[in-house]
Amino acid sequence: MNPHLPHATHIAVRDGHILGVGTADDIDGWQEAWGPLTLNTDFAERSLLPGFIEGHSHMMEGMFWDYHYVGYYDREGPDGTVWPGLKSIDEVVGKLKEIQAARKDKDTPLIAWGFDPIYFTDRRMNAADLDSVATNCSVIVLHASLHILNANNFVMEAADVKSSDNSEFIRRDESGQATGEFLGQLGYYMAMRTTGINLLAIASSPETLVNFANVARQTGVTTATDLVNPIPAGSEHAMREAVDAEDFPMRLVVAFQGNTMEPTEGVARMQELQASNSDKLRFSLVKMVADGSIQGFSARLKWPHYYNGAPNGLWYIEPERLGDYLKAFTEAGIQVHVHTNGDECTEVALDKIEEALRAHPWPDHRHTLQHCQMATRAHFKRMKALGVGVNLFSNHLYYWGDAHINITMGPERAARLDDAGGALAEGVPLAIHSDAPVTALAPLFTAWCAVNRLSSGGVTLGNGTQNISVKEALYAITMGAAYSLKMENEIGSLEAGKRADIAILAEDPIDVGAEGLKDISVIGTMVGGHVHLNQGREG
Amino acid sequence: MPQIPLTIISGFLGTGKTSLLTHLLTQAGPENGGRRITAMVNDFGALNIDAELIAAKHGNQISLANGCVCCSIGDDLMRSFMEVMQQTPLPDHIIIEASGVAEPSRIAGFAAVDRQLRLDSIVTLVDASAHNVHSKDPYLADNYAKQIEAAHLLLISKPDLADAATLENLEKELATQKPDVPMAQVTHGALPINLVLGLNGDHEIPQPQEIIDHGFVQWAGHLNDMPRAALIAKLEKLRPHVLRAKGVLQDGEGGYVLHLAGGLITTAPYAGEASGHFVIIGKPQMPDAAALERIFRQNEAA
Ligand SMILES: [Zn+2]
Repeated sequence: MNPHLPHATHIAVRDGHILGVGTADDIDGWQEAWGPLTLNTDFAERSLLPGFIEGHSHMMEGMFWDYHYVGYYDREGPDGTVWPGLKSIDEVVGKLKEIQAARKDKDTPLIAWGFDPIYFTDRRMNAADLDSVATNCSVIVLHASLHILNANNFVMEAADVKSSDNSEFIRRDESGQATGEFLGQLGYYMAMRTTGINLLAIASSPETLVNFANVARQTGVTTATDLVNPIPAGSEHAMREAVDAEDFPMRLVVAFQGNTMEPTEGVARMQELQASNSDKLRFSLVKMVADGSIQGFSARLKWPHYYNGAPNGLWYIEPERLGDYLKAFTEAGIQVHVHTNGDECTEVALDKIEEALRAHPWPDHRHTLQHCQMATRAHFKRMKALGVGVNLFSNHLYYWGDAHINITMGPERAARLDDAGGALAEGVPLAIHSDAPVTALAPLFTAWCAVNRLSSGGVTLGNGTQNISVKEALYAITMGAAYSLKMENEIGSLEAGKRADIAILAEDPIDVGAEGLKDISVIGTMVGGHVHLNQGREG
Repeated sequence: MPQIPLTIISGFLGTGKTSLLTHLLTQAGPENGGRRITAMVNDFGALNIDAELIAAKHGNQISLANGCVCCSIGDDLMRSFMEVMQQTPLPDHIIIEASGVAEPSRIAGFAAVDRQLRLDSIVTLVDASAHNVHSKDPYLADNYAKQIEAAHLLLISKPDLADAATLENLEKELATQKPDVPMAQVTHGALPINLVLGLNGDHEIPQPQEIIDHGFVQWAGHLNDMPRAALIAKLEKLRPHVLRAKGVLQDGEGGYVLHLAGGLITTAPYAGEASGHFVIIGKPQMPDAAALERIFRQNEAA
């Protein structure tokens, strides 16, 4: 990704940094000043890329590994164990039975995560399925979307769903029987209150952090974000202790949740946090959430709104207050990333950024729109003019692409979903992301999504102008993301003076090409000169 | 198991939700039944509670000397509910100051699914001076309509900042839209706690229907050249029954603003052009609107 030297055979590392890149002869030249360099040929047959940067993920990814993974795709746990994808409801139930049989304490709640019903079109999972796992304890299966959960009758009885007639948060079959699915925020709340389990407690314990880093590291990530954290007073010290440890295999950028305090207090808190930034842990930006999600029908859309006629979505903050925060942080020189999913929300966010910049001009503020899934070319033009970057949720194309074509957006507008090609064509700085744990954290998969724009149902979204090339996608998951975090001067490319953060791949993605991008085996990473190898990867 | 009543204060940014909440919290002492209220608020900083009333402050929580607690919602209402419902002892009443873009009926859903909660009421504030802007806001008009639609009590805030015709139109509009919902004007959030809390299900306190049936008396009109001494004398007689009165008036001495709140009558000079608008809200025992018309029209121009 170094424009002066896109390809090289040798790289020399000293003191956590890259001493030089080039031919064996080029590297030799450094020895006079720096003393002898040892040639390591372990990865001679491998492909070394700049370490991948996940510009929008959540530490919560690390928390779910306390539960049991039952997703459709193979997923690798923090300890390197591969959890095989489960291809039918019966396989999910079978896996849960296996887990229950192996548990010592069979009466504690059994919780699984990552279940995704979009792959099982013949029927939905129900309470009877989970009763076959256990009847004397709570069995709860969280869906990948985190908008629905399945429970057994033990939970349904505790929640007394029979006496409740509200079907907004309890799915019922044609005969009015509750099926065991709890829907939306209220469904989650009901399940949590009646079982006493706080499924979504904010976890920033050292174990969660280490789990998160290990999951990310296995996919070639050397820097990841926790893209919204209230960072309660004092919690930064615990984070620092974990992340600064030499064997912690990743850099972490934590975004401060802007609306937890008034703008002036938030500015003061950010300044305090920034003063304590280290090589591996950064508190460099603020995140504001302005609307909901498209698949949850809570994104704010412009007319004609949702394809299926659902009412327009929700604002998560008053546009006026968003403006107040943007002004305060812009004045203080603090970068803001704004979550916008729907096009109406994107437009309002741009209005408010423009107002803030008129009040407090700041070249290179690099405020960034996160997700920004329904942006039009007109929005990208405005972003270019305002100096706003974008980090698109490319994994959505695969996971929810079919739903967007058929239900939420309709075929015409679904074509421009996460339009990476449009962003680049209009000159907007581009990154792409997974929003883990919402979808699987794996930058090569995210790159594959942006390159191929293929839904899980096998449909291609768009007419080709929205696709980007393999090179552009690789740039987006390295330099693009580094730029969005204002770290492009230290990470994102392999060149002399930069940090020695490297993704070690079994094959060269350029040789592999568009189709196989997601299947390239990651051998390991180097972070600040320390090598972290994946278990049993031969590629 | 006794259920905790939940009151949701809804309304756009700047309509006076925080002022109302502050008033409710400061009135929560034993003289009003001694409720231990837990308030969940969006912007902590805007809460303007007397320092002497604050017992302790830590993290996202303020404890008041009268047993009330304020906590900030942050980004996640569900997490806040989980935390509040794990308090010991549980509060006597929960008030949520919803964000300006919240849909109160969605928040009410928490009371529907939690057997330890019941919805007391949704109180929606409508800013008299900004109604015409809010109801036509290109991004927020749908929200605005939903907030009014969900209300069990409609409070018109900043009536003093709207001209008489605007105010009248607003009241008519709201009365047409929500004919069964009591409506009152409120300035700086000054309303009696027992008028706002316990609207639903608490039998010592009037039910919404009773408030309408029994009048919840309101009279508004223009008073031209009403000498302040004469007006104060009239209000003194009515005072036991008055919830709230306010006027932006003119007499021989010049413009003045009159407030009657919490039983206290105050006047302050008014520099601008006084509209002459006067409004009084009272308990059922207050003379009815026709009687008030006679009382306030007497000696109008002294
Ligand atoms: Zn996210």
